[in-house]
Amino acid sequence: MPAVTPIAVTGLGCLCGAGMNLAECMESLFRNDRTPRPPSRFSTDHPVSYPVLELRDEFKLPLDDQKSVYARTSQLALTAALEALADAGWDAESLRGKRVGVCIGTTVGCALNCDDFYRDYKDGTEPEMDIISRFLRSNPAAVIARQFKLNGPQQTVVNACSSGTDAVGIGASWLRAGACDIAIVGGADELARVTYAGFSSLMIADAEPCRPFDLSRKGLNLGEGAGIMILENAQQLGAKMARGYVRGYGSACDAHHLTAPHPDGAGLKQALYEAFAAAGVRPEEISFVNAHGTGTPDNDRVESRVLNEVLPGVPFVSTKGYTGHTLGAAGGIEAVFTLACLQRGEIPANIGFSTADPELPVTPVIRNTRISGRVALSESLAFGGNNAVLILGKGD
Amino acid sequence: MRMAIQGIGVTGGFGSGVEALEAALRCGKVEPQQGIIERQGTIDTYPLYLASIAALDEFIPKRALRRIDYFSKMTLLSACLALKDANLLEDERSRMGVVLATGYGALKSTFDFLDSYLDFGYACSSPTSFSNSVHNAAAAHVSMYFKATAPSLTVTQFEMSVPSALLTAQLWLAEGRVDQVLFGAIDEHCDVLRYCRKQFFGAAEQGPLQPLQFDKQSAVPGEGASFFVLTREVENVAYAHIDSLQLGNHCVAPISLPAEDLLLVGADGHKECGRWYAQVLQGREAVSYAPLYGSFPAAAGLDLAVAALSLRSGTRYADHALYAARQGLSVAQKLQAEKLSYLKFGPGGDYGLARLSV
Amino acid sequence: MGVKEKLKKILIEDLNLEDVTPEEIDDDMALFGEGLGLDSLDAVELVVIIQKHFGVEIKDMEEGRPAFQTVNTLARFIEERLA
Repeated sequence: MPAVTPIAVTGLGCLCGAGMNLAECMESLFRNDRTPRPPSRFSTDHPVSYPVLELRDEFKLPLDDQKSVYARTSQLALTAALEALADAGWDAESLRGKRVGVCIGTTVGCALNCDDFYRDYKDGTEPEMDIISRFLRSNPAAVIARQFKLNGPQQTVVNACSSGTDAVGIGASWLRAGACDIAIVGGADELARVTYAGFSSLMIADAEPCRPFDLSRKGLNLGEGAGIMILENAQQLGAKMARGYVRGYGSACDAHHLTAPHPDGAGLKQALYEAFAAAGVRPEEISFVNAHGTGTPDNDRVESRVLNEVLPGVPFVSTKGYTGHTLGAAGGIEAVFTLACLQRGEIPANIGFSTADPELPVTPVIRNTRISGRVALSESLAFGGNNAVLILGKGD
Repeated sequence: MRMAIQGIGVTGGFGSGVEALEAALRCGKVEPQQGIIERQGTIDTYPLYLASIAALDEFIPKRALRRIDYFSKMTLLSACLALKDANLLEDERSRMGVVLATGYGALKSTFDFLDSYLDFGYACSSPTSFSNSVHNAAAAHVSMYFKATAPSLTVTQFEMSVPSALLTAQLWLAEGRVDQVLFGAIDEHCDVLRYCRKQFFGAAEQGPLQPLQFDKQSAVPGEGASFFVLTREVENVAYAHIDSLQLGNHCVAPISLPAEDLLLVGADGHKECGRWYAQVLQGREAVSYAPLYGSFPAAAGLDLAVAALSLRSGTRYADHALYAARQGLSVAQKLQAEKLSYLKFGPGGDYGLARLSV
Repeated sequence: MGVKEKLKKILIEDLNLEDVTPEEIDDDMALFGEGLGLDSLDAVELVVIIQKHFGVEIKDMEEGRPAFQTVNTLARFIEERLA
């Protein structure tokens, strides 16, 4: 496969448990600061309380009264999109008349798991429809398109934990094919009782702050947030500076098991090779990897083995210790972090790691580490055996 | 880039398989079944187009299905039918991508999971129900069962799910990421959905479905799945080619329809979407086939299957409304146009327009 | 019904092992891998099943693994906890 044209990234936006905007997130990451705590927005009777990474502050959408109008996931997506658009120098007015696509990954944002509504329904009362109406208004890609009155393709990707990474890759592909000239891409997900109960039932949630790649790792901490990038084709970009580039994307399915990764990381390797080919980049050119690194025993073992085989000696970090696992948002947030770290020339310490696991051939960076080079890689492994990889390039 | 439709597998209120859909088209009518829900001592009956997954036994042993929910079974059945139709059941599938579109995902498993913790406490949350409720579980089952290791994608965009997902399938083929795409559209019905629809639409849910009465709410619930084996353009296509795809919003940039084509519209009795068809068509003749399978977001896939069948057989099937109005007339006429355009609107003016020809 | 018989019945019902009868499950047959053929997702479902039907809580897989070998080991684990 011949290498594809790099697509310019002109704006970044992000909010999650590490900070309310990209600058705050980067500050927390390089201060090696994290604040996991029990969930505050919902409760369960579960005997164990699992820490989560919630947004630190109440967030204010700088729009009219949208709080009750859209579900939290879409509010997060909109907030990050506004930050990214402002970063790229766009607003609703200047976008008018442009062909703008929206491609957003999520999990919770599209699931009809309104448990309060359903509890009432089960109890035999007649629950009001406002929760359902809000759900029907809250498809994340559609919300962004509607809010900015955009004309172009919209897609909400629900590939579980690789959704955000896939959404960035797909959006870049739209630009190359001329399906639109600008694309708002990334991922968003809110913390919800349903995913909290789900991940604890799978016994892959850690009752302590998570420890990606560490010997004692017990599982993930859930998080929430959104990470959005603005992509533009060459005509739109004109003389503007690019914040970075989407150089290549690869994805593949393990076709192995519903919830466990392939033991040899077959799909992840295939996705990596496809991304290298698309980017026209050799593995030794990669300056660092933003790993998936959820902190679950299986994921981190497979990932470490594959990194050792395909990208030996390349420094890597999981930022999930700072953000928690934000599911559909993770790929978006981590792509944003990857570009911001390339720009800064430094990656943060893999918080939560202290003791090497003899089963893991390579270990992550343990302190903030200077990096040089112009390309980096962000990877996601997902439920269902999905694997997705982005190769991102440094800006001008 | 043109995409060739090389195989189709469908299941819905009309039965399972392309032949069943064709038979329904020729006869012009499918009677909905009766949905019955007992709740709080009252019995609620309503018309409903239910799919059957009985034919799945022919393809997959029961043991392999033990953990697979109804949504994924419906998915697997239609996928098997499409691969069989394309003569690909025995082929190697490492270059076959999987793209799925669904409006609501696996509703039953979603509520099964909530049941597990609402009934027995959070410590009894079922990991199997949770796993099946995740939107891409069906795609995962398809990839696993068919050993399809190429890229996999699940898209959910309510009414726009099918056109949106098709765009990505098309690009994957154009970019050479895959050689075939197993493209599917699925939605299932459940009791909670009935409750919601009843609250929203009341007596209008009783039908009959009159999709071309754009200003009238007449949607009747349904469920079903449709799968397509898509490839790059070929010389002798099994069904038809999808020539082009266009996605946008009619309020922001008004759509212009191809003048010559036969128009198949995804109108399915929802007034909120119907107003857009009325505005765009301006009285121009169009056909709709929702009365053969009911109204649900992924029915757009069945609309596409009808478009492909119409082009393959060179037949313009009369839609249900026309049939009802002209009893005794032939329901199948020769197709005059060479191209067929399929138009699907969402409630906010979002649209997908696919142009097809042989 | 003894714990073993109850366990076999529940395994078949809750894990949908339609093609197996309780008599076909040997007390010493491996539950996972070869044998009954269960996998990692069944293992976590089994934790819920044991909690739901026997009221016995298994906190994590390290605790569950030794018990999840055979019907015999699982029955013994449950009996010990209930004693």
